[in-house]
Amino acid sequence: MTSIQIEVLLQTLISGVLLGGLYALIGIGMTIIMGVMKIINLAHGELMMVAMYIAFILFSLFHIDPYLSVFIATPALFLLGVAIQKYLINPVLKVDSILPENQVILTVGIGMVLANIATIIFKSDYRQTPVDYATKAWYLSDIWKKAPIELSLSMPWSVSFVIAVLITACLWFFLARTDTGKSIRATAQDHDAALLMGVNVNRMRVITFGLGSALVGAAGCLFIPIYYIYPDIGGQFTLIAFVITILGGLGSTVGAIIGGIILGLFESLTATYVGMGWAPVGRFVIFVAVLVFLPGGVASLLKAKALGR
Amino acid sequence: MKHPSFILVVSLAVSLFTAPLCAADALDLTIPLPLTGKQAKFGEIMKRSYEMAAEEINAKGGVKGKKLALSFEDSGAKPEIARAIVEKLIDVKKQPLIVGEYTSSCAKAVAAVAEERKTPYLIVASADDDITKQNYKYVFRQNEVNDHYADALVSFLKEVVKPKTIAILYESSAFGTSGATAMEKDAQKLGAKVVLKEKFETGAIDFRPILGKVRQAQPDVVYTVSYANEAQLLMKQIKELRVDAKLYAGGAAGFAIPEFIEGAKDAAEYVVSATLWTPQLKYPGTKEYAERYKSKYGDYPSYHGASAYAAVYVIKDALERARNWNQDGIRDALKATNIRTAFGPVKFQDKDGYQNQNFMDTLAIQVIKGQFETIWPKQYASAPYVYPIPSWRERR
Repeated sequence: MTSIQIEVLLQTLISGVLLGGLYALIGIGMTIIMGVMKIINLAHGELMMVAMYIAFILFSLFHIDPYLSVFIATPALFLLGVAIQKYLINPVLKVDSILPENQVILTVGIGMVLANIATIIFKSDYRQTPVDYATKAWYLSDIWKKAPIELSLSMPWSVSFVIAVLITACLWFFLARTDTGKSIRATAQDHDAALLMGVNVNRMRVITFGLGSALVGAAGCLFIPIYYIYPDIGGQFTLIAFVITILGGLGSTVGAIIGGIILGLFESLTATYVGMGWAPVGRFVIFVAVLVFLPGGVASLLKAKALGR
Repeated sequence: MKHPSFILVVSLAVSLFTAPLCAADALDLTIPLPLTGKQAKFGEIMKRSYEMAAEEINAKGGVKGKKLALSFEDSGAKPEIARAIVEKLIDVKKQPLIVGEYTSSCAKAVAAVAEERKTPYLIVASADDDITKQNYKYVFRQNEVNDHYADALVSFLKEVVKPKTIAILYESSAFGTSGATAMEKDAQKLGAKVVLKEKFETGAIDFRPILGKVRQAQPDVVYTVSYANEAQLLMKQIKELRVDAKLYAGGAAGFAIPEFIEGAKDAAEYVVSATLWTPQLKYPGTKEYAERYKSKYGDYPSYHGASAYAAVYVIKDALERARNWNQDGIRDALKATNIRTAFGPVKFQDKDGYQNQNFMDTLAIQVIKGQFETIWPKQYASAPYVYPIPSWRERR
């Protein structure tokens, strides 16, 4: 390998990990909803779109930095998620239906409504938040003058990545250490047993949906400095979240983090070594391969290891 | 009084009386173009320009005493919708002439409909070569084709940059693909080797992998054909990765609109692009149009706008000369067009396998100090070109 080839490989790995970290945050939101509710939230990407528009409005009207709007958009999305669960999904849960999974269909409908409302308000124009630091980056050769290779680390991408990691850490702490978090995990593991132990299962559901929405809302704010928005952007991120949820093993938080990173790396590597147009193909190859060869996802591997098998 | 049925009756009566009147002293023309979606920015520039031209013509008495009444239909840059709009215009509204659309995919769809229904269609800013190579009789194109888009840029490369290697990046659309193929041919003529030809998806987030390859190939020139968003993202990431080349060049579209500089900011500096028109040209009416547009909307228009603006004048000219205002009358008049517009001279010719194609001089522009300047051919230049350009490291 020549030095330039090593440079390309390392740069690809860097961008894969950065992208993967953001993907993981999108995936976690869907995965915890999946864990507790046993449904796939197909309005996930649209919730992210809502957060992105909140960040966009805050930026263009009040010049609030997208990274600061994490603190505004995330609680807002939490409330939106709570409202959706309380007033739309819970009533549907109680009704007998022809299809057993009609809440899933409901989320599809919610997603469409959100996307179309956004189209009415914002038109389907592509919008950006032109932040000043958009092209700032750190370079290896600035730190190490005689570096044989040149690597760069984009500032907005890195900041987004670090915030995503921090949010994930907070989530882990919340789920592992707090009372509410433990109740959520109990509900996810065994709904009936949790009910018998005195956990308010309905309330946990509402909180979980809010939490899942808040997480993807944060992801939206982290994405906007490096991407652009339009009302139909949700679909592509729902898809990514869905692939990560399957890859990570339905409902597993750690699995989703690993799944996100794997997906990010895989996409970057296919883009570099196969062709950029092939990245979406790679995504679905992973998806199908996991379903066929590893139906439990990363989580099943982790479990097997823990049990010493 | 506000009873709904009353309003209905009144409005019906009003429309009954006014409809024939309208037809008598106004000329209704509905223009399909993208007003929402990815290409909305281009559609907006064009819509404003159509309106400006119509206003001017109406202020001077209209076309043969009739006022032009323009209306617009949004196709969202989707060929199937563009097609449906035009079918409706021709079949239901009996509009004897179609103008508009932007993307090559939409224009292709519309051209097929227009030809089938023997209705003249004037293309304003769609570049895919094939459209005027189908032996269509009723399809006219005012803008230069993709094969020649980069003529001025290529001559700039040949005489100033003299590249040995070139990398071509392009968006996977009709416009991107045909632009890339055209550049490949041009590179051969230049004696430059195409060391990399990479396609990227519309809507891609991360261009770093592709840029890694560019860096590996170390081309003298990086030539990109794409619409708006990708052009900006790509240049930003080029700057961030410090992918150095002797010249970054773009094939019009996304590289030649003011949003490119606004979005890519300092990463846009020194980027050279092909274009069909600049506000600095010395055609009759060019300056007036550009200044009026700027004072109204705050920015200079791109070639898309100029072409749309000129198209209204081309139509006016054809309608005034036409023996009647039927489809064939207008078609024959369009065919005989030979006028000078703010966009440049317009004359539809059958040449080099094209039919009803207007051939014109193209230009090269460069972003210098955050402004588009015309740099090539020399007789049109508004500022001297900057070459060689500083490397990214030197730019801080």
